[in-house]
Amino acid sequence: MTSLYLRWGGMLIVAIVLTGLTYSHYQQHLATLSPSQAKAQGLNQEVRVLGMVRGGTLEGNVEGGDATFALVEKDSTISVRYHGPPPDNLRELKTLVLIGKWNASDNIFEARDIGLVTNYGFVVGAYLIGLIPLAIFLFAMSRRVGLLYEEIKTSKLYQEE
Amino acid sequence: MIIHRVIRKVQRFQGWFGGGAALCIIAGLYIGLIGSPPDYYQGEVVRIMYVHVPLAHTSLFAYIVLSIGSMWYLWKRDPIVDNMCHAVAAIGAIFTTLALATGMIWGKPTWNTWWTWDARLTSYTIMLMILIGYLMLRTFIDDSEKEARYAAVLAILGLVDLPIIHFSVEWWRTLHQPQSISMRGVSISSGILIPLMCMSIGMSLLFSYMLMVRTQLLYLDRLLHAKKGRLMSQFHMSKTDP
Repeated sequence: MTSLYLRWGGMLIVAIVLTGLTYSHYQQHLATLSPSQAKAQGLNQEVRVLGMVRGGTLEGNVEGGDATFALVEKDSTISVRYHGPPPDNLRELKTLVLIGKWNASDNIFEARDIGLVTNYGFVVGAYLIGLIPLAIFLFAMSRRVGLLYEEIKTSKLYQEE
Repeated sequence: MIIHRVIRKVQRFQGWFGGGAALCIIAGLYIGLIGSPPDYYQGEVVRIMYVHVPLAHTSLFAYIVLSIGSMWYLWKRDPIVDNMCHAVAAIGAIFTTLALATGMIWGKPTWNTWWTWDARLTSYTIMLMILIGYLMLRTFIDDSEKEARYAAVLAILGLVDLPIIHFSVEWWRTLHQPQSISMRGVSISSGILIPLMCMSIGMSLLFSYMLMVRTQLLYLDRLLHAKKGRLMSQFHMSKTDP
C-alpha cells in the first residue's frame, strides 16, 4: 500500500506543477486589464485590454484597419486608436480584447491587434470535470485491490487448490 | 486457453500501461494547454477538445471491447472474459459520462447551448443508457450465469448504436462538427493534432490500465466472497454434524 500512496503522491506533485505552469503562462501571456487599469498603469509596454466598443463612437476606416473609438468597461472609459490588420470583429457594442500600448502623451490607447475574448471558466471546468473523476475512480480501484490482497493474505483465505 | 495466456501476458505489463498513460497525458496536457496555438474562430476554448475528444474515442473503444468480449463469452462461456466485460462496462460508462459532460461545457461557448437533441449527442446518450442498463442488469439478477448471459446479449444488441454514433454527423445535418480525422484525411493543423494524439494515446493506455485494475478487483472480490462462503458452509456443516 505504501508504494501506491507514493505513486499517487508523485502524480499529485506533477499535477500541481503543471497547474502552476499553466497558470503562470496564462497570467503572463493572456491575462487582460480593464480600461481603467491600463490607464492607471500607463506603462510603455504591450498589454491586453478587455472592454466593449461604446455605441456611436466608432469612426474611421474600419475595414481598412484604421479606426478610433471609445472602449468602456463598467464605468471606466478610454479612447482607442486602432491601427493594424483589417479586423473581423470590430463593431459597436462588441466586447473584445485589444493588444497595444498606452500613449500617455496623447492620453490614448494605441492598439495594434484585436484578440478573441477568452472564457477561461469553460476550459478550466472541462479539464477539472474530465480528469479529476477519472483520477479518483482509478485511485479508489487501486486502493481497493491493495486492501483485498491484504484481506486475503491476513485472513489466510487463499490456499493452493 | 489462448485468451487466458493473452490476459496473463498483458497483465505482466500493467505498470507499463499506467506509466505510459501518465507520460502521454502529462505531455498532452502541457502541449495542449501551453504549447498549442488558439483556434482562429474559437480562440482558447478549442483547448477543451484535448480532453473531450480522447474521452469520447476511448468510450467508443470501450464499447467495442465490451461487444467483442460478450460475443466471446457467449461462444466459450469463459468466466474470466465475463469478468473483463463487467469491468469494461463500468469504465466505459465513466468515460462516456465525462465525454458528455465536457462536450456540454464546450457546447455552451461555441453553440450557445449546454444541450441540444442533435443526432450525435442523442445516439451517444443512448450508448450511456445501454451501459447503465448493462450494469443494472448485472446487479438485479442473482444467478451469476444467467446474469452474464443476459448482459452479454444486451451488450451485443447495443452494438447497433455504434455505427449510428459514428455516421450521425454524415447522415443527418447536425450541430456537431464532422470528423476531422477520417479515411479521407486529416483536416486539422499539426499544432492541434500533436496534443490531440498525445491525449488520445494516453487515454487509451489509461483505459487499458484501468481495465486491468478493475478486472483484478472484481476477480479478488469474487474470490474472497467464494472463500468466505466456503468457510461459512464448512463451519455450518461442522456445527450440524452429530
